[in-house]
Amino acid sequence: MGYSRFLLKRASQGVVVIWGVVTVVFTLRYITPGSPVTFIAPLDASQALREEIAMEYGLNRPLYVQYIEYVVGLLPPNIDMGQSFAAGTSVSSQVFAALPRSLELAVAATLVAVALSIPLGVISATNRHEPTDYAATTFSLVGISTPNFWLGLMLTLLLAVQFDIFPTGGMARVNGTPLLLVDALRYLLSGRPQVMLRWLSHITLPAVTLGTYFTALVTRLTRSGMLDELGKQYITALRAKGTPETLVRFRHALKNTLVPIVTVLGLQLGTLIGGAVITERVFAWPGLGSLLIDAINARQWVILQGCLVVVGAGFVIVNTVVDAIYAYLNPEVTV
Amino acid sequence: MLSPRTWQNLVGELRQSPLAKLGVSLFIVILGMAIFAPFLAPHNPNVQHLDQKLLPPVGLSRVTTTTTTQMVNGSVTTITERTQINATWTYPLGTDPLGRDMLSRVLYGARTSMLVGVLGTALATLIGAPIGLIAGYYGGLVDDTLMRFADIMLAFPSLVLAISLVGLFGRIAVTVPDPWVVFNIASATMPATFTLPGMVILVIGLVNWVWIARVARGEALSIVEAEYIKAARSYGTSDIRIMTRHVLPNALTPILILATILVAANILLESSLAYLGFSGTTLSWGFDISQGQQYLATSWWITTLPGVGIVIAVMGVNLIGDWLRDALDPGIEGESEGGL
Repeated sequence: MGYSRFLLKRASQGVVVIWGVVTVVFTLRYITPGSPVTFIAPLDASQALREEIAMEYGLNRPLYVQYIEYVVGLLPPNIDMGQSFAAGTSVSSQVFAALPRSLELAVAATLVAVALSIPLGVISATNRHEPTDYAATTFSLVGISTPNFWLGLMLTLLLAVQFDIFPTGGMARVNGTPLLLVDALRYLLSGRPQVMLRWLSHITLPAVTLGTYFTALVTRLTRSGMLDELGKQYITALRAKGTPETLVRFRHALKNTLVPIVTVLGLQLGTLIGGAVITERVFAWPGLGSLLIDAINARQWVILQGCLVVVGAGFVIVNTVVDAIYAYLNPEVTV
Repeated sequence: MLSPRTWQNLVGELRQSPLAKLGVSLFIVILGMAIFAPFLAPHNPNVQHLDQKLLPPVGLSRVTTTTTTQMVNGSVTTITERTQINATWTYPLGTDPLGRDMLSRVLYGARTSMLVGVLGTALATLIGAPIGLIAGYYGGLVDDTLMRFADIMLAFPSLVLAISLVGLFGRIAVTVPDPWVVFNIASATMPATFTLPGMVILVIGLVNWVWIARVARGEALSIVEAEYIKAARSYGTSDIRIMTRHVLPNALTPILILATILVAANILLESSLAYLGFSGTTLSWGFDISQGQQYLATSWWITTLPGVGIVIAVMGVNLIGDWLRDALDPGIEGESEGGL
């Protein structure tokens, strides 16, 4: 099978799974106790008022009609997730306002993790059974066992409360609007670096909190992968040939270790999103996770559906892309 | 169930691996806390002592400032009073905002973590193992359908799916009697019942079965082609018998290893749900962390101590998972991919 056929097959599988995600999300609301009308109507609403509400939101129509309408509405380029019952605002606008804030946090956490874990893993593997190795393995053991919300609070306690280095939470804001990296960069270019610094100081603790688990995990993976590779015969052959040790380690052993790590990171994307939800809660970060939890607490099912569809579809898309990259790097997969 | 050879591997690995020993010790500590909480706890963890709230742990003190405005000789003066609150041995680890004993709460919190982690994972295994075995054994359309459904489930992060399900179905809790107290073995001042967050256990089962199913399916797929399975089939052995007698025993080891890692992940999941307010019980490490959050600046122990409990429990179970993997499955090098 050629690469393009593999891509096509993988992409169509992805579309089917996303459709499944949408269907599951739609079904969830109707198998749960309580009609949506109950949550919109006041407690003492009369039967007539209830019917009126059901009519207004189209909840009195057959389920399959509502389902088809929901699925069709979601299709690009509209991506209409419906109207929120309480505020009457568009769900899509809320979800897509929150999404970049969460993405920014997730990307920052991943950067922290990759920047720290791969050097740590390599140092650990090349200095096996030495104090540095023990320090790195201890760190990764503790890191994968620590709940990130607690870690976030401990970091806040130490670095925001005891030593007033970072703010305790929230996003950096300019005139009340949350500041994204692109905005911060624009301020930086227009000669206001203090805005950039404010952005940096706000994202540091949440990013470290969210990134620690992945730092620990990838350190572990890099270490065991490197140990595996360094024990193989081609490494011995390279060394016998007189290849410099740095080249052996980085050009050969590390490169071969990285491929499986990319796959694991794709699979761990769910953990990253789940971790982001709770990290956002700890640091009052107004992203998708905060939106999702607020939606559940306020029984705003349409917003919850929107968040779940975005999370599920995002997961499928990223994993499809990871598969495509993996197959490109490793042509055996497509055969 | 375990062959003598398996025991040998387990004991041998435990002897030579200090990390395995550490894992087993940590696990025993947490398990001991969970089982013997009514004997170890100095107070009932639910009883409030409102005059003793926010006491610091032994060896520390907390300073509070109260500002009162008074009329003295016709002029308004503001008096700032600093009171030092000292720790007492009555509450060795201090008290929470409602004056409940932190040590007792941390001890009882181990129960919730262990019970939810283990029961939730057991439920996931009971759902996932048969589904995976059936998918792998029959293959074809059955397999495709089940695995596509698994893909859909996997597209939702465990925590996101769990909070959505608890949010949609409600926080249901089950009250179970505490046998130590009911049979008058432990002091009657201890709570006679224990609140088990049943919905959380159910949700953990629903969220995690996919991981177990995938592993069971993989094992079934590889075993089903073996000669002895073909032989069994040619004798006319029924499918169910082949699955339970031949396929299942071979799949048990990888399922056991994965389930152990899942217990650790689920202890984290339970504490996260409780932290976010989606548990059915208030006697949980995660819940205590959330109620201590607003007192972080003045009474840090309320958030810090339960977290230490979580780290110890999760680390212990993770190390046991590593031990089982190294002892039982020499084929797997490095880390498992799934589970979290």
